[in-house]
Amino acid sequence: MTKATTRRWFFIGTAVFTLAFIALTIHTHTTIAGRTHEDRLTDEVRRGAHVWARYNCENCHTLLGEGAYYAPDLTQVVQQRGAAYLTQFMANPAQFYSEARDGRLMPTLGLSTQEITDVIAFLDWVGRIDTNGWPPRPILTSGVAVRAMPGVAGVAGADDPSSRGKALFNGPAVCASCHSIEPGVVLVGPSLSGVVKAAEARIHDPQYRGTARTAAEYLREAILKPSAFIVHDGVYASPQRVSFMPDTYERTLKPEEVEDLVAYMMTLQ
Amino acid sequence: MTYQSQRIAYAYFLASVLLFGLQVAFGFVSLAKYLGPDPLLNVLNFATSKAIHTNLLLVWVLTGFMGAAYYMVPEESRVEIYSVRLAYVQLALWLAIGVIAVVGYLFGVTAGRKFLEMPQPLKYGVVVVMVMFLVNILLTIRKAGRWTTTQGVLIGGLASAALLFVSGMIPFDNYTLDRFYRWWVVHLWVEGVWELILGAMLAFLLIRLSGADREVMEKWLYVIVGLTFLSGILGTGHHYYWIGVPQYWLWIGGVFSALEPLAFLAMTAYAYNLMRRSGLAHPNTLALHWTIGSAVMSMLGAGLLGLAHTWPQVNRWTHGTHITTMHGHMAFFGAYAMINLAMITYALPAFAGVPDESRDTRLGLWAFWLMVGGMFGMTMALAAAGITQTYLERIMGFGYLETQQKIQVHYLMWLATSIVFAAGVIAFIWDFAKAGLPRATVVKA
Repeated sequence: MTKATTRRWFFIGTAVFTLAFIALTIHTHTTIAGRTHEDRLTDEVRRGAHVWARYNCENCHTLLGEGAYYAPDLTQVVQQRGAAYLTQFMANPAQFYSEARDGRLMPTLGLSTQEITDVIAFLDWVGRIDTNGWPPRPILTSGVAVRAMPGVAGVAGADDPSSRGKALFNGPAVCASCHSIEPGVVLVGPSLSGVVKAAEARIHDPQYRGTARTAAEYLREAILKPSAFIVHDGVYASPQRVSFMPDTYERTLKPEEVEDLVAYMMTLQ
Repeated sequence: MTYQSQRIAYAYFLASVLLFGLQVAFGFVSLAKYLGPDPLLNVLNFATSKAIHTNLLLVWVLTGFMGAAYYMVPEESRVEIYSVRLAYVQLALWLAIGVIAVVGYLFGVTAGRKFLEMPQPLKYGVVVVMVMFLVNILLTIRKAGRWTTTQGVLIGGLASAALLFVSGMIPFDNYTLDRFYRWWVVHLWVEGVWELILGAMLAFLLIRLSGADREVMEKWLYVIVGLTFLSGILGTGHHYYWIGVPQYWLWIGGVFSALEPLAFLAMTAYAYNLMRRSGLAHPNTLALHWTIGSAVMSMLGAGLLGLAHTWPQVNRWTHGTHITTMHGHMAFFGAYAMINLAMITYALPAFAGVPDESRDTRLGLWAFWLMVGGMFGMTMALAAAGITQTYLERIMGFGYLETQQKIQVHYLMWLATSIVFAAGVIAFIWDFAKAGLPRATVVKA
């Protein structure tokens, strides 16, 4: 083997792989619009992308798993935590987290209301990109949910509705990203420890405006219409009394899934 | 040092070494924020200190590369640099852009894309600097009419790096496309054309340190850079898995990026074989240490630790954790920091006009072992942090914040080993300063 041989090998090889890369790039480029549902890429989303860049967000956070590793991944944060909560959070992160308790705190960036709305629209759009199934399990900002063990985390295909509900709670429905079932542990929403007793009390609360007559009915209503009753021993809603909990579950969960979740929560005596 | 104009490299190396020190300082500022309450939270937040840390890395490594080119090209082409003044103007402009960028970050002016945070007008400035550099080098080679493979690979790498930088300047509304083309700069730099620069610098040093035959060396250099492109171009796919591209990138990225260690393995074998044959006889023992060290450490950091999480089946769990921090630190240090330090230690005695034999190497050896040992420890600490994080956060389902609190002990180890590393950096800068300014007289090599 001479230098001329290896030189030829280098140039031909490089040319072949460069061409292959360019061909794949052209094909990929044409598929991106569909995979990222570009029809929903509104001006709000565009402005939000600029907010994301201008405030250097990806040098602390990751998005689609890319960025720095100093703050949580935000790929599905809007789907997990809802716009109402995030609006309050970004205006003043210290309202919800403390360095003493959580180890880290996001700086107060002085974002305008418009910027907050835009960046939430951007993150919501990113959360709907077809990512080839990443992340395989929801990545949570805070909160503990031991999902690896079926006995603890519930079983998706079980006969027992409460076990199916438990699997949903800890898995695809990501309830566990905001609600702990430990007494007194507040993640974003109130702890669901003893929620059945709490539900029975709340339907008799003078501030209750809903239609439920039993604990199970209350829990179903709380999933589908979270603002029907705002728990008053913490910050769980915007000043306009809109619950931080997303009001999207009527669309995203099937009716039988809601029943499974209710069945599970009814075990939280 | 055979040519007067090689002294240009000294100014580049000086800037490079000082910026390296500053990079490490900002590394500590960032690391402190992992450990506890952050008194600078609303003054100098993590995003800023970390962006400065990584930008300084890119700037000092590129400064070193350009310095290396100004040192290598006169020797390879046997001629003085075309314009010495242009080279100094270029350095001044380059550093001015760097200073403006860093001051801008401190005041919140950023383009907010990891590694490419420089605002767009400054990026145009970078293009101007690169053009000045390439013109000066190419006119030098044309003047001499002598073109060697080693410098061809070096210039090819630097010119492609400049060209790819432009692809990172095109704005995209669609975030997936923004990511897609951002990797054309970041990946195709560090896992593509920068490896050409690395290979060329390695070949230049090995030819001189071992006295090996140039024809044989350059024959294998083509094999090395051939392997780099064979694996690295389509290997870009391993950054594409989860950003919204078609599924075929999973296996294309997986298979080709898994071949990326081959180029590094070839470089290590290249260095090992030559050194075994020449019996490590060259009197510049420091340059020998850094050269062989770079070949070995880049294989471990870039090759092996990259392979550890490149398969999509692994990466879907580890993506976005400290596994990347672990790989990134050792890869950049092994491949790009160490080869620059090798070139600097090789050139330093020649600048000062001191024979290699009479140089006191104690401090330089301390610098080498403290840095290598420190970086090895940092990588181990980050590996422990990354594996624990992956397990707790991604598999068990603990929240990000709870997981971070559980891996604090690894951050303490990161700090301890970083201090060892920083001691090495200080020793290196001290040793560099001790060598004194370059002498005006030409010393025949």
